[in-house]
Amino acid sequence: MPSVERKPENIVQLIWPGRRSEQVTLDATGKSGGAGEIFSIDSKPGFVAKIYHATTSQARLAQYRRKIQWMVDYKPVLPQVSAEYQDIVQLAWPEALILRQSRFVGFVMQKIAFDRTLELDYLLNRRQAAQEGFDADYGKLVTVSFNLASIINCLHDKRIAIVDLKPMNVKVYKAELYVSILDCDGFHIATDEFRSDAPQVTPEYLAPEFQDKAVAHPEAQDSFALATIIFRLLNYGIHPFTGVASDHNNYPSELAGRIKQGLYPYGKAPHKSVRKVPASVHEAFPDSLRELFDRAFASSGDSRPSAHEWVGALAIYASKHSGQMSPCSKGHLRFSGRPCPTCMRDELIHGAEVRRRSFLARVQTAPARTLKYVKKTLRQTHSSPFQAALAQAQFTLVQLAPPAPISTRNAIALEILWISGLLITYWWTS
Amino acid sequence: MDELSPVTATALWVLPLLIAWLWRPRQAAGPSAWILLIAFGTLGAWALWFGLYAHLGEPAGFAFWKPTVLYWTLAAIMIMAPLLGWDYPVKILLGSYFALSNREWRWITVGFATVYTILGGVNLLVASEASYKDWVGFKYSCMMNLLIIVLFRLNFVWLPILADVCIHLYRRATVTYRYLSSLF
Repeated sequence: MPSVERKPENIVQLIWPGRRSEQVTLDATGKSGGAGEIFSIDSKPGFVAKIYHATTSQARLAQYRRKIQWMVDYKPVLPQVSAEYQDIVQLAWPEALILRQSRFVGFVMQKIAFDRTLELDYLLNRRQAAQEGFDADYGKLVTVSFNLASIINCLHDKRIAIVDLKPMNVKVYKAELYVSILDCDGFHIATDEFRSDAPQVTPEYLAPEFQDKAVAHPEAQDSFALATIIFRLLNYGIHPFTGVASDHNNYPSELAGRIKQGLYPYGKAPHKSVRKVPASVHEAFPDSLRELFDRAFASSGDSRPSAHEWVGALAIYASKHSGQMSPCSKGHLRFSGRPCPTCMRDELIHGAEVRRRSFLARVQTAPARTLKYVKKTLRQTHSSPFQAALAQAQFTLVQLAPPAPISTRNAIALEILWISGLLITYWWTS
Repeated sequence: MDELSPVTATALWVLPLLIAWLWRPRQAAGPSAWILLIAFGTLGAWALWFGLYAHLGEPAGFAFWKPTVLYWTLAAIMIMAPLLGWDYPVKILLGSYFALSNREWRWITVGFATVYTILGGVNLLVASEASYKDWVGFKYSCMMNLLIIVLFRLNFVWLPILADVCIHLYRRATVTYRYLSSLF
């Protein structure tokens, strides 16, 4: 193993639960986020350290310390993982405090194997997912959704909310389909013993009642973001508030604005002023899920389905033995009794491709057809009686002479002379 | 912007005329066309010489006569050509895109001759009696008839030529595109 230069500032003290302390050396990984930088720990290969940026204020560090101390002491119980997958990390939860010269600087968390995982963001695009070695099908996507909902449900049971829940903060184990949630130090905690707010939000995943406002009900916010992520996972990345507006003047260009106005076009009852995007396959979802989506996006915050409800609804589809997911005639997994969303999508894309080619062909031939039409109009040689009548109607007062039998070059030569005469006339009369 | 150099200025009128010469129709032109060509050639040579090359400028006081010289030259051609049995010169000025009888062409020729004669006289009257500013305003108001003629020409001649040229260029571009596509 190559020797690493031991800088004094990289020698830190870890404070584990029970106040057991340990001195370790950190090595930079080059990975950095908004709040801090990630370091590996020389004697702890299964852990990494997050060290807050040096620019973090002392007051903020003090807040972090209180929060991390509570989190170290009260690690939530997470959904059961099969015995063979014990190395799966479902939460990048703080495991120990890090002190440098007795001052709090960060925390230790379990290391997530980045080679075995990919960002959930990649699953929103099948091609990207395939490039990352994940062959997405509806069985896997439903399982990922179920696992995500399960973790959030466990957190909510402990009165912990993620608030800034978005695909970028979630990792998916490619083979095992478990999920791992990052940035746990930004969670909202509201227990009897401790309370900590989470000011960070992402507008595209922010519930309508919290747009431009503080998040007053973090669990309701998580429910909205969870529903949005599940909808996007199952609908080829299409955001539930992406649509085609009938009145473009009043249609917000930003997703946040559409969320605020409740412009959700994928409900069981169609929206009055916005239509679904043609590539959506939401009609292939089972009624139970569609009703949950409708409650999440088309209803008020009070009736929004919780993570617990999502767990219940998705469990039967995530289980291989329930028979609720079955292969279509082409072998794609689909919700039993429903059309195959993969085939539906292929047909939509194929149809769109045919229309696109037809449109391009028409665009390519448009100049020639237009010029042909103009020429026929000028020469009054339209073969269609309607077009001929239309063309002649423009010149009812004067009868035109037949076109002069000269070539274009001859005509250009004459016009050069004519324009020269015009310029001479201008010079003499100006 | 600086004034054009003599070489550039010369190129700007020689090149179009060279193209016109190379692409000229080979059929014989009538005497009306020739007389108009000679008249405009003379007037154009004058304009080129005093507009581009003569440093001393035009003869003193000639500026007031300029519109009158043009109008009365054209009026003379309009009057003389039919009397000499030539074709109506107005056909060449306007273009032969209207199917009119000889009687109608004659009346148009007479109308043009009358208007040009009057305009030439009025120009001298305004130049001598009215202020310089009013005379300049009168000259520019006379240019309205040029605009009308240009619009007719644009609609009935230039647009069909443009259509022909565009179709030709589009076909060439399509062939080039196919050739380049076959290469790559």
